[in-house]
Amino acid sequence: MTPKQPTSTTTEPTELQDQQPGKSADAVIAPAETQQEERRGTGPATLPVRERRKYKVRETPPAPPPPPRLNDYEPILGRADIDELRFLARQLRGKTVKMVNSTAVGGGVAEILNRLIPLMNELEVPTKWEVITGGNDFFEVTKGFHNALHGGEYLVSKEIFDIFLMYNEQNRQRMEFVEDLFVIHDPQPAALIRSKRDRGRWIWRCHIDLSNPNAAVWDFLRPFVEQYDAAVFSSPAFTRQLPIPQYMFYPCIDPLSEKNKDLDEAYVQKVCDDFGVDRSRPILTQISRFDRLKDPVGVIEAYKLAKKYVDCQLVLAGGGASDDPEGAVVLAEVMAAAGDDPDIIILNLPPWSALEINALQRASTIVIQKSLREGFGLTVTEALWKSKPVVAAAVGGIPSQVIHKLTGVLVHSVEGCAYQIRYLLTHPEFAQYLGKNGREHVKENFLLTTNVKRWLVLFEIILGMTRTLKVA
Amino acid sequence: MAATQTVSRPLRWARSPFYFNSSAQLIRIGRQRATTLGEFGVMLESCPDDSIFQHTFQTLREHHYLREGFTNDFAHWVFSACNEIGLAEQLAAVDVREYTSIKALRATLVKTVQSYLEKNPHSRERAAFEPFYFCASDTVVIPTPFVARNLAEFAEGLRQVSLHSIHYHYIEARVRLRLNSNDFSLWMEEELDLGSLADRINRIDIYTSTLEDVRQKILKIVQTAL
Repeated sequence: MTPKQPTSTTTEPTELQDQQPGKSADAVIAPAETQQEERRGTGPATLPVRERRKYKVRETPPAPPPPPRLNDYEPILGRADIDELRFLARQLRGKTVKMVNSTAVGGGVAEILNRLIPLMNELEVPTKWEVITGGNDFFEVTKGFHNALHGGEYLVSKEIFDIFLMYNEQNRQRMEFVEDLFVIHDPQPAALIRSKRDRGRWIWRCHIDLSNPNAAVWDFLRPFVEQYDAAVFSSPAFTRQLPIPQYMFYPCIDPLSEKNKDLDEAYVQKVCDDFGVDRSRPILTQISRFDRLKDPVGVIEAYKLAKKYVDCQLVLAGGGASDDPEGAVVLAEVMAAAGDDPDIIILNLPPWSALEINALQRASTIVIQKSLREGFGLTVTEALWKSKPVVAAAVGGIPSQVIHKLTGVLVHSVEGCAYQIRYLLTHPEFAQYLGKNGREHVKENFLLTTNVKRWLVLFEIILGMTRTLKVA
Repeated sequence: MAATQTVSRPLRWARSPFYFNSSAQLIRIGRQRATTLGEFGVMLESCPDDSIFQHTFQTLREHHYLREGFTNDFAHWVFSACNEIGLAEQLAAVDVREYTSIKALRATLVKTVQSYLEKNPHSRERAAFEPFYFCASDTVVIPTPFVARNLAEFAEGLRQVSLHSIHYHYIEARVRLRLNSNDFSLWMEEELDLGSLADRINRIDIYTSTLEDVRQKILKIVQTAL
């Protein structure tokens, strides 16, 4: 079943949509003109003068591969786990599901739904995906809500709430609600709950952190949320006190996606060659947008401290610098911090670089995620899945993934980060131990298939189709 | 050299077959969150039984791949968020295999925390690095196609089932059975009269073994009886 495409030309901007396809093919850092301007004294004074190595990127997005089938996961999970999914799905035979979100492409939610929906349908739990539509005004309001729910300032007014309600009502009138289960993702379509009738159970899947929301926006949304039969959050820390049951689904990665699937060694080598990464020496990598909250400059400082004792290269790869003014500023800061060190490789990649990022992660000796603030931190999940030792800041959802000294190491400072880099580079057996545990941790808790199982169990529970085990 | 001849022992048939099940769990987020050790101690007394179950028995399932360093969520939080190493060690030493009821397990946990706070009153109000969120789990049972009527079939079934099945029969079972045993040992003892084998299986250390290790150790023990 394919999702309906939004009929509106406007969808809410997301992190993955920040860069316009086809625009950012020239990913070379510090283009020659900029450097010449700097030499003449007219350019930004902080940029280094040397010309960085140019590297190749694909100029257009590749065609998306077909979604995997359930059996494709068997080599990863084993037959027994797949059979358990089939059993749970059989219990739900005849039940139908509708999932609703606000965008069909771009962003983590759409990415997950693009993989989840085909698997649910293959399991014969008919699952329909619909996308709400709206004008620019609606998505400006919902973007404001999104930031406000994360604790940002937001000036609310009756007009703002009216816009939200009007588009929700339009979508509610347009859609049919005849399924047995409705899963509404995030705040944008939350008011669709007004279609709740005796038949059908409604679940609100909140992907954002509500721990410190703007009170006015939350007070507006709360009465809608309270009408749902259950809510699902990504972490206990992201929840609010609600009168409905709240469940936890960790965010997940698809082990068969371009970003995470196994790669040929020759391809990994080619990507490293293209980007000028020397695989004969240790490689430290941080994958993230050029955003101060990811602390790329802190990573460079840690690398420089570590490099006094151990030879290594640093790869900082991400996007967001091509058409995001703030990203460009951060990129300039990063380049200034890197100076003329040829072992710091800075890659501003277009959004369709999943395979390249996969290869860089696989080529890495250590993966770093030294964020100052973080959501769940799926780049950490990706690195753990590739059995990489991870050095990561103890923020957001990272401690759920990195159990200190068991599945990775947690750090709280530049100095701590530098020390752990040195330690892991000089204790490869320990690094390997962390990587092995990290992969198992992801396999058990953070894979798409685990979330398929969670949805099936939740559907059974919420429909009263199963008895849960009681303990005493 | 004379060729050795392997003689298989005749198979002993169980009076009742062993049905392998598995389970799936869903974490339910509770209403209680502790931001200090003092709050933690109070909530440990009042939290639902299934919270205690989640943070002790069920967490072993989420971390089944570890052989060391992780025994339950309480000890982990006290260590990583409160930096109270002595108490963390004591909580980590609480072995769920010694408990056949959540009530008894809770009593030990509460007593351990209270006793520590009496000796270290300054630790009571110190803010934790991050709160402890009391959760619970909803567990549903999943049947599998594997049925054993003798030890050979048991070994084959054990090879095939998921690690969740092993957790269900070997770890969760203690609270379900309210016995210091597990489903495998109980079946061998009651249905096959193999008490000694059952005892050996019951003595496998789950805290120094991964669940896959547990599977392999059981298979090795069973192999000696085949």
